Amino acid sequence: MEPPAEVVHWMFGVGFLFLGLCLLAEAIIGREVWRRRAWRAYLWPSIAFLMGVLMWPVMVFYTSSAIHMLAHSAWAQALMIAGGAQLGLVRGKLRSSIWELTLPLALLVSGLAFLIHEQNPWLFSRSAFLHHALGWTMLIGALITLGRAAQPRSPVFNAGFAMIMIATATLLFCDRNVAPIFGHLSPLAGGR
Amino acid sequence: MRAKALAAAVLVALALPTSALAHAVLLERVPTYGARLATAPRTVSLQFDQAVHAFANSIDVRSATGKDVTAGPTRTTDSGREVVVPLRKLPKGAYTVRWHVTSNEGHVVSGVYTFGVRVKPPPPTEAYGAGGPTKFEYVAKWGYFVGLALLVGGLAFRLLVLRGRTVTPALERRFYWIVGAGVVGSIELGTLGFILRAADAFQLPLDQLIYGDLSPLARGTRFGTAFIAMTLGFAMVAAFLFLAWLTDRTILLWPAFFLGLVLCSGLSLSGHSAVDVGSSWKSELADYVHLVAACFWVGGLVMLAFVVWPMAPGLRREAFHRFSQLAAMLVGAMVLAGAYLAYERLPAVSDLWQARYGQVLLIKSSLVVLALSWGALHHFVVAPALERGRGVGSRAIARSLRGESAVAIAILLVVAVLVDANPPAKPVKQPVPTSAVKR
Repeated sequence: MEPPAEVVHWMFGVGFLFLGLCLLAEAIIGREVWRRRAWRAYLWPSIAFLMGVLMWPVMVFYTSSAIHMLAHSAWAQALMIAGGAQLGLVRGKLRSSIWELTLPLALLVSGLAFLIHEQNPWLFSRSAFLHHALGWTMLIGALITLGRAAQPRSPVFNAGFAMIMIATATLLFCDRNVAPIFGHLSPLAGGR
Repeated sequence: MRAKALAAAVLVALALPTSALAHAVLLERVPTYGARLATAPRTVSLQFDQAVHAFANSIDVRSATGKDVTAGPTRTTDSGREVVVPLRKLPKGAYTVRWHVTSNEGHVVSGVYTFGVRVKPPPPTEAYGAGGPTKFEYVAKWGYFVGLALLVGGLAFRLLVLRGRTVTPALERRFYWIVGAGVVGSIELGTLGFILRAADAFQLPLDQLIYGDLSPLARGTRFGTAFIAMTLGFAMVAAFLFLAWLTDRTILLWPAFFLGLVLCSGLSLSGHSAVDVGSSWKSELADYVHLVAACFWVGGLVMLAFVVWPMAPGLRREAFHRFSQLAAMLVGAMVLAGAYLAYERLPAVSDLWQARYGQVLLIKSSLVVLALSWGALHHFVVAPALERGRGVGSRAIARSLRGESAVAIAILLVVAVLVDANPPAKPVKQPVPTSAVKR
């Protein structure tokens, strides 16, 4: 009944790509220009929040192992909290800049969830490689967004955050349920 | 130079794999979980996505009475990706399959499911050898009920008792913290409850359960269906609550409230009132009314004691009066529905002190009587006094409200034990039992 896992990953890849492009546009033209239309300030946090809501069906319908279920639950909550806190800051409902730290925290939790739930080594299979790559991408993203929280107007940190999202999207688009990597598929994963 | 060496070391550390860590995923089972077979299968086979190590007892198949029905040791085929065990000639009945194989990294991947030969099999939670519930599960379920009460009761209080009243930002903020904690608690503790229930069925420690296949539990049981529906529903409720807070639009609380009310039915449709022998739509409805009324009452009390009283002195008298009227109706509905359920579940009056279910029910009823007496004091003494303009600033009333809330929350702990206790069996006219026997 459910779509193949790879299709679900591609759908989330679309979300991350759009999110990354919005952030990149804001980094290139500057926050003042980007926010001349008020709705643009809400754009990427809303997408992140929505993706968090949409992650819950993935959590409850893909239950082949408990650890997968818990990892998807962690990503759903991380996306909702990060997006929600940014929306609160933009709207003025949250005033303390400490809420900016929800973004690096969400990326840290998400990255760790990727690395912990992947039991295979980097080159075991394509999905294993992607999980490792995604995990480390998000951990680097956590550091970049930590810098962004300290220097919100830094073009380096803003562009870096955008590139992290685009890299995440690219890695999600690379996902296949069964496929070789670097011309090799581990015999343990079904390679002959 | 040092920086380049460091960068190279990081790249090498990132690129090189660690030791082989392979975690096998079960792709297919024959027969599959929950299957009702017309003819007895000759084997049980499990197909994995990769080679696994199996042992002679990797697949254990038991009848409803615990008899081993395998006809030989487990073996692997298809380059180690299929694990098969031969079976004896199976008579009509329900069977439990427990399996465990070792992935290449040494993790034990496992699962449990049931199938039936010419009978409907029981859910995996009632498989042969399933245990529980544990004390930890009671605590988790208690937290779950408290979360549900804070969410549904808190929303009901905000929308019905404080309807049309201007509330201060401080009150609004605390309201959102409380119902927010309620919805987060419902999601987190619901997930924990699901995992713990799986641990009961698997009979494995949690560190081994993380590689357990939960599909039969999620897809093959009412409990699993309720878990899926309620988790998705509470995520939507969280989204509505967040949007209501963000946009300052109270109207968005209504869909959250109605959704919360609908989700409460998940418990009634998957609990004793729905699955026990003799259950009917009437028992499901009574259970639902009982649960919703209890949530309104407990959540409303908490809102009155911890939100209105400390945050909005100007609203105390009116909120107390309105909640007092609402509580009278809630208590009536709760007591009527509870009495009906007790009548349905206890075949004899002596079950109240002889059966464990009845004993827990007696403890719960005693606490309910205490709470209702406390509520009656508020309704008949405190409310009229407040109407006359006395006691609005009284600390004694604040303490009394907190005390009644504490008793109400304590009742939920007993409820958590009660819902997992089995009511005494009723005499049934069914000649052949179709469910597996719990050890």
